[in-house]
Amino acid sequence: MKILIGLINGMIAGATPILLAALGGAYTYYAGVFNIAMEGMLLTGAFFAVLGSYYTGSWLVGVLLAVLGSLFLSLIFILFAVVLKTDEFVTGIALNLFAVGATTYLLRKIFSVKGVFSNPGIQPIPALRLPVVENIPVLGEILSGQNLMIWVAVLATILTHFLIFQTRFGLRLRAAGYNPARLDSSGVPSNRLRALSLLACGVLCGLGGAFLSLGYVNLFAENMSAGRGWISLAAIILVNGNPLGIALISLLFGFSDGLGLLLQGYRVPAQFTAMVPYLATLIALYFYAARTRRLKSA
Amino acid sequence: MRQKLLNALIGIVVALLLGAILLLLQGYDPLATYEALFRYSLFGYYPFATTLRNAVPLVLPGLSAAIAFASGVVNLGQPGQLVMGALFATVGGLYLNLPPALMIPALALLAMLGGVVWAGIAALLRRFFEMSEFIVTLMLNMIADFFTAWAITEPFKDPAAFSPMTPQISPNGWLPEWGEFNTMILFMFAAVVIAWFIFHRWKAGYEWRITGQNALFARLGGCEINRNFMAVMLLTGALAGLAGGLVVMGGPHRFIRGLGANYAWDGVMIAIVANNGLIATFLYGLFFSAIQTGALGMELITSVPNEISQVLQAVLVLVIVASREYLNTFVQQLAARRRAREVRT
Repeated sequence: MKILIGLINGMIAGATPILLAALGGAYTYYAGVFNIAMEGMLLTGAFFAVLGSYYTGSWLVGVLLAVLGSLFLSLIFILFAVVLKTDEFVTGIALNLFAVGATTYLLRKIFSVKGVFSNPGIQPIPALRLPVVENIPVLGEILSGQNLMIWVAVLATILTHFLIFQTRFGLRLRAAGYNPARLDSSGVPSNRLRALSLLACGVLCGLGGAFLSLGYVNLFAENMSAGRGWISLAAIILVNGNPLGIALISLLFGFSDGLGLLLQGYRVPAQFTAMVPYLATLIALYFYAARTRRLKSA
Repeated sequence: MRQKLLNALIGIVVALLLGAILLLLQGYDPLATYEALFRYSLFGYYPFATTLRNAVPLVLPGLSAAIAFASGVVNLGQPGQLVMGALFATVGGLYLNLPPALMIPALALLAMLGGVVWAGIAALLRRFFEMSEFIVTLMLNMIADFFTAWAITEPFKDPAAFSPMTPQISPNGWLPEWGEFNTMILFMFAAVVIAWFIFHRWKAGYEWRITGQNALFARLGGCEINRNFMAVMLLTGALAGLAGGLVVMGGPHRFIRGLGANYAWDGVMIAIVANNGLIATFLYGLFFSAIQTGALGMELITSVPNEISQVLQAVLVLVIVASREYLNTFVQQLAARRRAREVRT
């Protein structure tokens, strides 16, 4: 039972950054932006979260700075891909490398360290204890004591689903991806919606990055996003952008994350257990491809 | 051609200006910084030799990406293929014992084989299960990272070392130095020439280029799309793998942690900046190598952290690509306006 609860908690924690980044990517997916900058945005968010939290001693400032840092990347993306019409793929790759370079540079410039910055002065995002629920045997151990950001992610999933499918904004957003010329001719500039979708992506990736460095662990390490942005991209493609589907897939990746940790107990080398989420992505991709093939032949 | 050069110049000047503003904002002297940057990378016998040598692991993955992208194959697996190539060459260097004249080609071939195997997995998954090579190669990069990390901590670890690394490979597999020049640059020149020849003069290369521009047209014209896809994947895998092997054979002579660095991703960027042209990839590879090489000397002189070179590179990529597309539209607009005027008169 203890193992199972640990596995579920590990699954939830592993899923959260992927979920937040993928929800951000869902906005751009529907708006027809080929956005692969989630990796860089997560990393930038993680760095600025530590920066803010360390210097002000407040995790809230950390989260705020994380969102601002990630939004800065969104603005560059908008400037190049939306305004100057640079190829979106190129912009994304350059931004990801810019994020790696800039965070490594700033890590050295501001904290004078290479590789990892960890310090007791970094204030983590608190866990939320639910007063009555925590007394329920199994459920309480899972629901109570989770990091605040996990609830934010749950909220963000519901909000995203509502925004994209139930509001006028969502309709226009999907139209911008589906038929931009039609949207333009009906008086709504599709470029504005693309820019908005990128800003939404920036906010959500900033939150995801803040969770990485102030929740999942309490430090900043070079390149600590470690492919989570790419996995979130895979998650979006696998479910065609549907927010609830994204939540489900993220939990699956989170589960493989937790499973990796569990396998380490059975003397499987750490490097192999760390591969599990990426292998899981490949397996998920296999089933996705098989389904697409069936649909095509039917 | 003139427009290409003009565009490259505009892009580089604007990017360097932006970089200068960044430096000024942080209280550094941009002129002194740039002077040191290029003094330690281009001017002089030793700096230039170092720049050439450091260009090898940038140009080879760059060629790999350029050929793949221009053929319509989204192979983003260069980082994984590079470290697998390095691992194959290292293991060969540990267990083979041949005279240098055979050893060096054998290790280079092994390195290419490593890249081919890793690219081949992605190619087969695409061929038989229609799994998009884009995500597959990205995931294989992470898996290759962990796999090589395991290989140098467990089975092939140097028992005398404190951190994960393999023992040194047999000295017969070391690439000889000619003065300041490491012979690994010969492999780079050969790869550029051979790749260019295959891509621009062979029938196969022609088919790949046509497929990249219009896959449907190529298929109707009788190209074997699937076979070409396979060939491009394997060739580009071999190029990336060779880069890894050369890094081992020319540099530390062993597989150390972090060997792959950011080489392959930088190579992908270089290919993008070069608009997938092979010669342009080679030239931009040299330019980026100059920035990376000079950054180390710059840090000594001006105390600007050398990581600024990574930031500068990303700025260069964005500005050059953006100015290219902007210039293209601008030139088209000019042409359209001229035509409109001719029609009117």
